[in-house]
Amino acid sequence: MKISYSWLKEYVCFDLSPKMLADKLTGAGLVAASIEPFEDDYCIDLEVTANRSDCMGIIGIAREVAAITKGKLQLPCTDISREGDGDISQNVKVEVKEPLLCSQYTARVIRNITVKPSPEWLQKRLKCIGLRPVNNVVDITNYVMMESGQPLHAFDLDTVSGGQIHVRKAESGEEIVAINGARRVLFHDMLVIADEKRPIAIAGVMGEKETEVTDATRNILIECAQFEPRQVRRTSKTLGIVSDSSCRFERGVDPLGLDFASKRAAKLIIEHAGGEMCKDIIDVSANRNEAKKVVLRIERVKKILGVDINRDVILDILRSLQFKILNCADTFIDVEIPGFRGDVSREIDLIEEVSRIYDYNNIPAKTAIGIRGSKKSKYEIVENLIRNNLTGLGFYETKTFSIVNHAFLKGVNLWSGEDVVEIANPLRQEESILRTSLLPSLAKVKIHNANHGCEKVKLFEIAKIYLKGEKLPHEKVCLSLLDSAGFFEGKGIVQSLLKNLEIHEKCEWVTFHEKTRLFNNEKAAKILMDGKTLGYIGEASKELGFKTLCTLIELDVDALVEKAHFDKKYCEPSPYPMIKRDFAIVVDEEKTWASIEDCINGGKISIVKEVNYFDIYRGKQIPEGKKSIAFNLCFQSHERTLKSEEVDNASEVILDALYKKLGAELRRQ
Amino acid sequence: MPEKIQDAQKMFHNEVGKIKTRQEAEQLSVKYIGRTGIVSELMKVIPKLPVDKRASYGKQVNALKDEICRTLTDLIHSLSLDKKPANQKEFFDVTLPGKPTDVGKKHPITQTIDDIKDVFARLGFEVAYGPEVELEYYNFDALNIPSDHPSRTDFDTFYIKEDVLLRSQTSTVQIRIMEKQKPPVRIIAPGVVYRPDTVDARHSFMFHQVEGLLVDESVSFADLKGTLNQFIKSYFGQNVQMRLRPSFFPFTEPSAEVDISCSLCSGKGCSVCSYSGWVEILGAGMVDPNVFEAVHYDAEKYTGFAFGLGVERVAMLKYGINDIRLFYENDMRFLSQF
Repeated sequence: MKISYSWLKEYVCFDLSPKMLADKLTGAGLVAASIEPFEDDYCIDLEVTANRSDCMGIIGIAREVAAITKGKLQLPCTDISREGDGDISQNVKVEVKEPLLCSQYTARVIRNITVKPSPEWLQKRLKCIGLRPVNNVVDITNYVMMESGQPLHAFDLDTVSGGQIHVRKAESGEEIVAINGARRVLFHDMLVIADEKRPIAIAGVMGEKETEVTDATRNILIECAQFEPRQVRRTSKTLGIVSDSSCRFERGVDPLGLDFASKRAAKLIIEHAGGEMCKDIIDVSANRNEAKKVVLRIERVKKILGVDINRDVILDILRSLQFKILNCADTFIDVEIPGFRGDVSREIDLIEEVSRIYDYNNIPAKTAIGIRGSKKSKYEIVENLIRNNLTGLGFYETKTFSIVNHAFLKGVNLWSGEDVVEIANPLRQEESILRTSLLPSLAKVKIHNANHGCEKVKLFEIAKIYLKGEKLPHEKVCLSLLDSAGFFEGKGIVQSLLKNLEIHEKCEWVTFHEKTRLFNNEKAAKILMDGKTLGYIGEASKELGFKTLCTLIELDVDALVEKAHFDKKYCEPSPYPMIKRDFAIVVDEEKTWASIEDCINGGKISIVKEVNYFDIYRGKQIPEGKKSIAFNLCFQSHERTLKSEEVDNASEVILDALYKKLGAELRRQ
Repeated sequence: MPEKIQDAQKMFHNEVGKIKTRQEAEQLSVKYIGRTGIVSELMKVIPKLPVDKRASYGKQVNALKDEICRTLTDLIHSLSLDKKPANQKEFFDVTLPGKPTDVGKKHPITQTIDDIKDVFARLGFEVAYGPEVELEYYNFDALNIPSDHPSRTDFDTFYIKEDVLLRSQTSTVQIRIMEKQKPPVRIIAPGVVYRPDTVDARHSFMFHQVEGLLVDESVSFADLKGTLNQFIKSYFGQNVQMRLRPSFFPFTEPSAEVDISCSLCSGKGCSVCSYSGWVEILGAGMVDPNVFEAVHYDAEKYTGFAFGLGVERVAMLKYGINDIRLFYENDMRFLSQF
């Protein structure tokens, strides 16, 4: 909302420079975005919040200034000097078919006017706030709109067919050429002002070309009406026509302010364009608006604001904002809300008004909210630990977008198939999917960095993926890693993470056969815990286009949080020596280390403390189709020093079991 | 000490003094502690000794073995380092660079959220979370946003279907928590939000917010100011000033925009603060009674305040970042600076 500094001065006395005025208004909630000099005046651009329709007129701003500065408010005169004899009802008839969308429609008629340029002072004021002067009649309707916040429209009465005004819904397919030259096809749900034959204005948005006031116009009809805000917004948006009028109706206008604006416009037109006004006004109103009454409790002001504001100060503030005090007791005040303050209807709204003019910066800053313990949730602890661990291992955290394109997720097939959550109104058609894996995003980051000379990166991200659910999707928090190393380095990181989260349940690492474009088919695994998928790991497939070896990992953080536990207990190490024995066994190629480990642990020999793999060998000394696996066993007891024979016996039992179950033989060379 | 052990010890000391090369040291090792070495021989005697002598004899042999082992290990180590003749001494240059050990970094957005969480955790706020794909009810209705409010249109909110959307603000978490929990409530809710803004240096269709909420029996606007003041001083610095301006949010009344004095120009005016000396950092206010009604709190008994801030905005201010897109590009030259 642009205002002219000198124009504002006409309605309120104040002694502030434009800069000081702008600061004061900003402090009261009307942020001054800019102050621009214009000839000997200044244009101040104010940001009006959506609730303050009253500040869409300079008089509204003047009311604010009066309240802030305690200056006197002077409203402009609306007394019409000359009223003609003509009867308005003989000139025009108004019918409102949609009273819900147009709760009030008023019309005045002025005959025998002379259309010419507006006086200099009026043109200057309009130019100062960025409006282009047209002619005296159009300029005056604009002037009064800017003054009062109430949009007006003047029709050339002689072009209104049959002298009939119908406020009705448009017929589908009806066309209109607006004053700005835009041709639009109207839809049935739009409201129009029509004459006998056709629409002559899009209600509240813009008038029509043929009925506009031109130099040839002699007789005019001044429309001053109230249109339903939603209706105006929808129509304006659908047609792509935004006007000073539509943005005022969208916010809602003062239901009690029509008469003032209509009279004010008529007075100025008669003064500057001559002519005589027909007697009376046509006023079609659906219902009369009753003024709202609100009780304000003094105690409540203190409770909400935390500062004791004197009752008389409260009264002063309310009066200065033009609220009417109906009754004033020690503990409460009855207040009548003026029509232009559609945003005020409750006690809390009045408290806001009081605090605004009292000035937020005069309310003390208290630190009495009282102590309260706060606890970190298990989720936070786990998330922190993961981040600390991974950054310690040289990984950088990334943040990537959850909205991705189709091609990105195609063929990923990790947590879900091709079933995805789609956005109905995406910014760009190709980016309309909520991701079901973070890994493609990490791959993209890796490529970006490779293109900028940084080939070897270690990345991770903790974020949500979105799997189709019933009403709302299932949002699963995932941890994704991209390591510039091989499968087993990656696996080692997963294992150390699990260890740090005190997750001691056994993990199953199963070869991942399902087709995914992310992984190298052979070197990929699904990680299972308690039969549920904990995550996926695999060396990056060639398809991803990396130049270096890379391993991708994605883990279910919700599962990690569930399994993690932090009730740690110290466990005293055994005071007795640990005995290590190295073994190398020869087994069939397809026998897994997991089966060997299971076989050893399956014997449940209590003195076996650790089973540590260290090497695999295939070569000359080993028969074809076989491999040699080397590992050591650590034996230890908590009660005594183990005897050599005990260890020998236990080793025998284990080797025997390995032979029977897996056909493993001790390597002889 | 039995004579044999003493002799072996003397002999070892004698021989070790003459060692010049690593090879000689290794040979000596085999001679003394090899499988058939002198120490082994000493051990073999044990079964032949009287039972009461065995333990102390064994201990002494072991002690000798340890000593020999230690001496030779050190010797071998020093001999393998000293390849050059002793007179040509190397200068140990401490200014050579260290061997690189790369430590990663948390993303600046995470760091910013962590810092904010830390400040509020000390004031007794707990962290809460909510879904990103939300019902329209939580994003709008329960927050007192009228059904015809422009922010509900698909120009301002991403929709999945009729009444399911991507949350456009973390205020949704307020409602979800208050539905579950009776007052007092003291939470902050960090998270991702989405708005269909065309991406440029200042806008991103996805960004982060931190929402705060405190509800209790006598919470006032003055407490809101006090709390925010604590936060601003802790996070931005003791010299930073705070200013509140009236504003409008459907879910708070009274509502305020909170500005801080521009840290770049210390309030004198620069391009960052559009020459006003102030930078807007968050929105706040007293919880609107209609919001309490939606969660069945008694608005007469309980009052509360809420605030919300944009994480990227705060991080951009704090670190002097001029383009929001940098956060999501994840260039190592960017990430490694935080």
